[in-house]
Amino acid sequence: MQILSLSSVTKTFGGLVAVAGVSCGVDRGAVVGLIGPNGAGKTTVFNLITGSIKPDDGHIFFSGHSIRGLSPHRIVALGIARTFQTIRLFQGLSVLENVLSGCHCRMRSGLVASLLRLPGQRREERLVIERAMGELEFVGLAGLWKATAGSLAYGDQRRLEIARALATEPKLLILDEPAGGMNEQETFELRELINLIRKRDITVLLIEHDMGFVMSVCDQVLVMENGILIAQGTPQEIQNNPKVIEAYLGLDDDD
Amino acid sequence: MTQNNGHPQPAQPAQAAGQASDRADSQAGSQAANNQAANNQAGNRAQAPNGPKSSPLYGILTALGILIFAFLPMILSTLVGRSTPYWLDVVNTVGLYTILALSLNVILGHAGMFHMGHAAFFAIGAYSTAILNLTYGWSIMATMPVATLAAGFVALILAWPIIHLRGDYLLIVTIGIVEIVRIALTNNIFGLTGGSNGLVGIARPSLFGFRITSPKHFFYFIWTVVGLTILLFHWLENSRFGRARKFIKEDTVAAENMGVNTSRYKLMAFVVGAAWAGLAGTIFASRMRTISPETFVFSESVLLFTIVILGGKGSQKGVLLGSFLVIGLPEFFRGFEDKRLLVFGAALVVMMIFRPQGLLPSKQAHYKLPPGWADRLAQLPKPETNGPNGKRPPNGGAPPVAKPQNAPPEENGA
Ligand SMILES: Nc1ncnc2c1ncn2[C@@H]1O[C@H](COP(=O)(O)OP(=O)(O)OP(=O)(O)O)[C@@H](O)[C@H]1O
Ligand SMILES: [Mg+2]
Repeated sequence: MQILSLSSVTKTFGGLVAVAGVSCGVDRGAVVGLIGPNGAGKTTVFNLITGSIKPDDGHIFFSGHSIRGLSPHRIVALGIARTFQTIRLFQGLSVLENVLSGCHCRMRSGLVASLLRLPGQRREERLVIERAMGELEFVGLAGLWKATAGSLAYGDQRRLEIARALATEPKLLILDEPAGGMNEQETFELRELINLIRKRDITVLLIEHDMGFVMSVCDQVLVMENGILIAQGTPQEIQNNPKVIEAYLGLDDDD
Repeated sequence: MTQNNGHPQPAQPAQAAGQASDRADSQAGSQAANNQAANNQAGNRAQAPNGPKSSPLYGILTALGILIFAFLPMILSTLVGRSTPYWLDVVNTVGLYTILALSLNVILGHAGMFHMGHAAFFAIGAYSTAILNLTYGWSIMATMPVATLAAGFVALILAWPIIHLRGDYLLIVTIGIVEIVRIALTNNIFGLTGGSNGLVGIARPSLFGFRITSPKHFFYFIWTVVGLTILLFHWLENSRFGRARKFIKEDTVAAENMGVNTSRYKLMAFVVGAAWAGLAGTIFASRMRTISPETFVFSESVLLFTIVILGGKGSQKGVLLGSFLVIGLPEFFRGFEDKRLLVFGAALVVMMIFRPQGLLPSKQAHYKLPPGWADRLAQLPKPETNGPNGKRPPNGGAPPVAKPQNAPPEENGA
């Protein structure tokens, strides 16, 4: 059963075709990797799924519903959460508040309840802090709840982004280069973390350049080059796929 | 900073080819620079949770301050005798501007929207009250909710199409709004606004049968409203609604991607701020008894803008201080009245250079953890046991409050 499917999704920027008729699917409960050389269009695919940019053509289905053209906050509410390739935390706010931003879409208190601090609002506020702390504990950052997000070490910032995304209670979690800039130890911990996320019945779709990481953590791998999906399959299949090998070796020649 | 705070990684064992790791390196490098900047920024704010806010002394001093302020009319009469009403009027004007500036703070300070047309909503509130009172004989207190809603409603209609605009564009449009409203009033729109002469003879408010007439009465009336405003907006700020606006101000794209309906919250902030300015309009109309379009000119909006920026965007204490400085202080230097704008201009320039965050900038919000968490956090393992899904000890990863001395003034100015 596919939780996400794209059919002939296309996006051009000016004359540049960033994503050219990509059709693919993500199985529910799987961890899927999306790889490809720089500029292949991977991040653009993520932006299309999360609604940050609208496709020129094609359809995107999530849990059977078309999500094409919806604004990002509605797509989050439906159950897709993301992290960013270049970290995009609320740098000046505390670690806890960053996670609370993810909780926002699952809360109900409105303007009047907030203005008058009604009992229901206070109860919700207590519950949500509890839940946000739970997510922080899950990624191993609970002890830093008071710190300013911008003051965290780099790897911790990446994990905070994951905690923030998890706080939206997603069914599908989209990670754009989660191991980027992490050291070996942190990358190892990230792998464990992704396995724990999968145990929570959350489907994971991730972009990563670290092949060792992708091959060890993913069930399925999608390969893009120049906006085109050139291969998909298990890590084993991908590693032996001549097209993929060519795509990466071809790159070497350019250097 | 500790650990590998964004240091370029040794090239990854890359089947991903040379180019990829080049890119990763340069990216990591630039993010390290980012981190540095963020750390400097953190300096000022990270401390907040243990700041003065939580100390009991601070609470006592605040309570004492409020108590002394409550006796201000008596204190003034022993100090200045017969000119007490005059000085009370000054304090009342400060109070009124405080309400207005607090309402602008919801829009400008919390949500980060550059809105320079606030006088328009003030005017709508004042005229709603005046018209309902003079033409239809409503009592002032009965007009108050209507004036509030009217200003909010007009804001909703006007802001709907412009709420997506970026800072500088929004600024221009809101200046347009205040001009349109002023011209409409001057041209005696619907034959109700009295043209450039304005409206005369507005009634006094009465509360529970008590008529509010003297400066002393207005002192208690206005400053009670100031207190209520501070309380309600403080609650609002520390709620789901207030946080949403903070996220929008920090990074709109990230906020939207975390599920915050950014345009809706911007619009709501705008409407709430405008409505509150309408409420201030009611108080103003009944205090002055006469209103005319000249009161609601563009320079009033600029004055309010100045108060919020000078005091500290987003900080209610800052706004309070700003009102006293911008509205109250010039009364002590009456001789220089015509140079007032010059002085404010100079003060603003100096501020933007040396203290762009304002005199009393907003602090980081204070959260209380649910019971049990203190123990749970205390039991976190030590750094060595940084296991896989590592539960890190407090401060295990990085010093959260690495406070750089001599940190340059942070926060991106106006
Ligand atoms: N908003 C945009 N406007 C114009 N061009 C864009 C935009 N976003 C992406 N592109 C272009 O589209 C192409 C694909 O970019 P994308 O970011 O999707 O690549 P990527 O596969 O994520 O690469 P990387 O591994 O470097 O992150 C690039 O040539 C990029 O310059
Ligand atoms: Mg990318």
